[in-house]
Amino acid sequence: MNPGTTLKAARRVSVFDLSQPGLGGSGITDPDFDGEHIPDELSEFATRKNTGLPELSEVDVVRHFTRLSQDTFGVDLGPYPLGSCTMKYNPKRNDAMADLPGFARVHPAQPKDSMPGLWTLFHNLQEHLAEITGMDAFTLQPAAGAHGELTGLLTIRRHFESKKQNRSVILIPDSAHGTNPASAAMSGYICKIIPTTKEGTLDVEAMRSMLDGDVAALMMTNPSTLGLFDPNIEEIAKTLHDNGSLLYYDGANLNALMGLVRPGDMGFDVIHINTHKTLSTPHGGGGPGAGPCGVKAFLEPYLPIPVVTRNDHGEIEAQFDRPLSIGRVKSYFGHVSILIKAYCYILSNGAEGLRMVSENAVLNANYMQSSLSDLLPPVFQQRCMHECLLSGGDLDVDPFDFVKRLIDFGVHPPTLVGAGCVHFSDEYDAAMLIEPTETESLAVLDDMIAQFRKVAREVAVARYMIETAPHTTDVAKIITDEPAFLSMLEADKPCDSKSS
Amino acid sequence: MASLPGYNVLREQDRSHMLEKIGVDSIDQLIDFIPANLRLQQPLDLPVAMSEWQLKSHLTELASQNESADSHVCFLGGGVYDHHIPAVVDTIASRGEFLTAYTPYQPEISQGLLRVLSDFQLVVGRLFDVPVVNCSVYDGATALAESAWMAISASGENRLIVSDTIWPEHLEVLHLYMANRDVEIEMISHDESAGTCDLASLESALQQPAAAVIAQSPNCFGILEDVKTLVQKAHQKDCLAVIGCYPTSLGIIEAPGTHGADIVYAEGQSLGLPLAAGGPYMGMIGTREALIDFLPGRLVGETKDIKGEPALALIKQEREQHVRRHKATSHICSNQALMALRTLVYLSLMGESGLRRVATLSAQKAHYLCAELEKVAGISKSYQGAFFNEFCIDVPVNASKLIEKLRQQGFHAGIECSSHDNSQDRLLIAVTETKSLDTLNHFIQVFTQSLKKLS
Repeated sequence: MNPGTTLKAARRVSVFDLSQPGLGGSGITDPDFDGEHIPDELSEFATRKNTGLPELSEVDVVRHFTRLSQDTFGVDLGPYPLGSCTMKYNPKRNDAMADLPGFARVHPAQPKDSMPGLWTLFHNLQEHLAEITGMDAFTLQPAAGAHGELTGLLTIRRHFESKKQNRSVILIPDSAHGTNPASAAMSGYICKIIPTTKEGTLDVEAMRSMLDGDVAALMMTNPSTLGLFDPNIEEIAKTLHDNGSLLYYDGANLNALMGLVRPGDMGFDVIHINTHKTLSTPHGGGGPGAGPCGVKAFLEPYLPIPVVTRNDHGEIEAQFDRPLSIGRVKSYFGHVSILIKAYCYILSNGAEGLRMVSENAVLNANYMQSSLSDLLPPVFQQRCMHECLLSGGDLDVDPFDFVKRLIDFGVHPPTLVGAGCVHFSDEYDAAMLIEPTETESLAVLDDMIAQFRKVAREVAVARYMIETAPHTTDVAKIITDEPAFLSMLEADKPCDSKSS
Repeated sequence: MASLPGYNVLREQDRSHMLEKIGVDSIDQLIDFIPANLRLQQPLDLPVAMSEWQLKSHLTELASQNESADSHVCFLGGGVYDHHIPAVVDTIASRGEFLTAYTPYQPEISQGLLRVLSDFQLVVGRLFDVPVVNCSVYDGATALAESAWMAISASGENRLIVSDTIWPEHLEVLHLYMANRDVEIEMISHDESAGTCDLASLESALQQPAAAVIAQSPNCFGILEDVKTLVQKAHQKDCLAVIGCYPTSLGIIEAPGTHGADIVYAEGQSLGLPLAAGGPYMGMIGTREALIDFLPGRLVGETKDIKGEPALALIKQEREQHVRRHKATSHICSNQALMALRTLVYLSLMGESGLRRVATLSAQKAHYLCAELEKVAGISKSYQGAFFNEFCIDVPVNASKLIEKLRQQGFHAGIECSSHDNSQDRLLIAVTETKSLDTLNHFIQVFTQSLKKLS
């Protein structure tokens, strides 16, 4: 394989195809150690003859991965209205701050008093998150939203254990993210599913009928995955609390609420935040994100260690000796560089900026809904929050094909059933969840709307263009439920490698 | 004209136009379905919005308060190592296309990212010598916990036999992940002299059925375990063998997969990820073909587009939470894709020969430092087993005082081992390729002087 391949070929070749034995590891040398001789004591273990790793020159690596980046669509390239994922613009200054050597070069096993700047940042961020959400205390440990759920549920479990109550059930709306039931199962809970009313809200009567002494908590996101604010939230909270149960807030949709209304004020006891959604930390191709978990004061003793807080002398420190804590959910102190970016985002926006983030997120989604309603009528005949659920049922073409055609016009497809991280019940199977986010300008929204209309006009005149879309990509349409295989199973056995 | 707050892009005239289109007069009316008593009546109590230069000044000030591997020579390890990260890794990982993409749910516009994840699986598969690798989980600790759950799900047994020489923090996470899932964890002890898993303790534990034997090599004392024997003993009793490893060491150390380990997991930080005060890092999990349905997290595989051309896509999603809900193999939704990218770029730059030299240089320097320190009166190696690049030494003074003394002279000398086995006078010291002979000699000199002053 000639490494000077064309752009089109980049995705078709693996790093093994580009390997030229002898080109790898340039500059890994030391004037005083030969880097060849295995210390005698180690020779019994250091018997590996080869690893089969590919050998590339630095320039080949740079070109290959730069080309692969060009075959990857991110927010930096265009609008990404993937409902429920909040694909907003990620400010570059935040990345630069997280890369400062005073953060990026800190070893987590350094003496605890050797990183006071970090503890101050953690403490400030915890306080800001508490203010934004109306909670009393936060842990920044969880690595992602689902990990925040696990942390929150284990905290709830510990709470009931300390009260000597054996509650084994978590209630979850049928519209919840799949992580909710999966996290509940990992925490040792049984899940019971609450249906959604035809108005798109939680069925309060159904919930009431499921309440008994066994229910530990209800997990809910508000606004829901259907893009709707549940106006019954106070009644739901009161009913649960009267039953001795707690209310868990899945913060996946917090982007609609900042400065407008707070989960803590609605009656939620535990919350996680997806920093990679609401607080604009980059999604990174699927991670890393971060999932800080906030609680009301009565749950604070159970938060995972370490807890960053003020000690009796008013100094901020990381505390590890917390007898009531659930324990440790991950190593060290959480996804620190991600948390730094979230902190920077809050500071750059301020209170007014964050309120306008949420106002504009809601405004943009409603503008999309209004502008497309003749073509894609809203599933629920009401105004939405930060994302709109539109029906593709009148399209006379499979919505799956419809959204693939948007790719040709520079728009990332919205979320459909079975695509993305949300779950829809069967009755919404032609629906699409569109979340434009607040960082798309009116001009971009109008352009997106025009593209939707352009595709809709094609249904009558050039249907095949939709059914075989996309056409502007190097690869053609991929049907993901077609048989696929794990290519590594077909690869050379590692130790038979030719590039030894 | 005043600038718009934050990153907002709607001008006042845009907002008016849009409200009109929607058919409402104001934002308040737009969201009038939110009960009025819940609406915030005053602004959030947050600091005044900062300009970019104010932000930079504030963050630079906070960063300057921290000691780091730049201000102090870093001999800290404990699963996280100060290996060199080539500039190319940062350059590629800062590409906006990679940085601001999400999980490749739309494969047609994600072939570049899918190729990265697919190659990551392949390259790590070679490093571990196993046929199947996922796209990563959060970190080494959660990789251990997920691997343990895989073993339980696959075997139908609910008992784990776990070596007490696994990183203590990883064990804490394992215990928490298993706490409410009807799992019994039996810890096996270590040989105090060799610093390795006690085989008698293992054999005794293996008298009862178990899902898996779980061990780590190099272990929490830096000592290499006899992985081959551990795997054999597990297999003789029909247990799965789950082995944690230090990926950099695999440049020269025999891979766990070669010894027959059924599940191999690792903390991936050493492969091009910044120290970053603890994260984000990356958990790696590899396994045999037969256990693929029990793997957590994303998997990328090859399929065909409608023209019959090969293409990449996420595969076997039926294991995952967005399809299988409470019966999923794990709750994990994300993976550490950006970290997987860094690792792939790092391993592509190193290659067969480079990783071998990084591993060998680290080992050579660690063994040099250990041998020189052993010559100092009062210092002895804590364990007799072979080590890779990290070792424990016993010192004749209070370890935390020694660490403090060396810190004042510009060294983060090591990790006090008291959390491992209650030794008050033990240090765990890690050496990477980046420490020059001069630095090592200077460290030995300062170490010796500090010991004298404290004695």
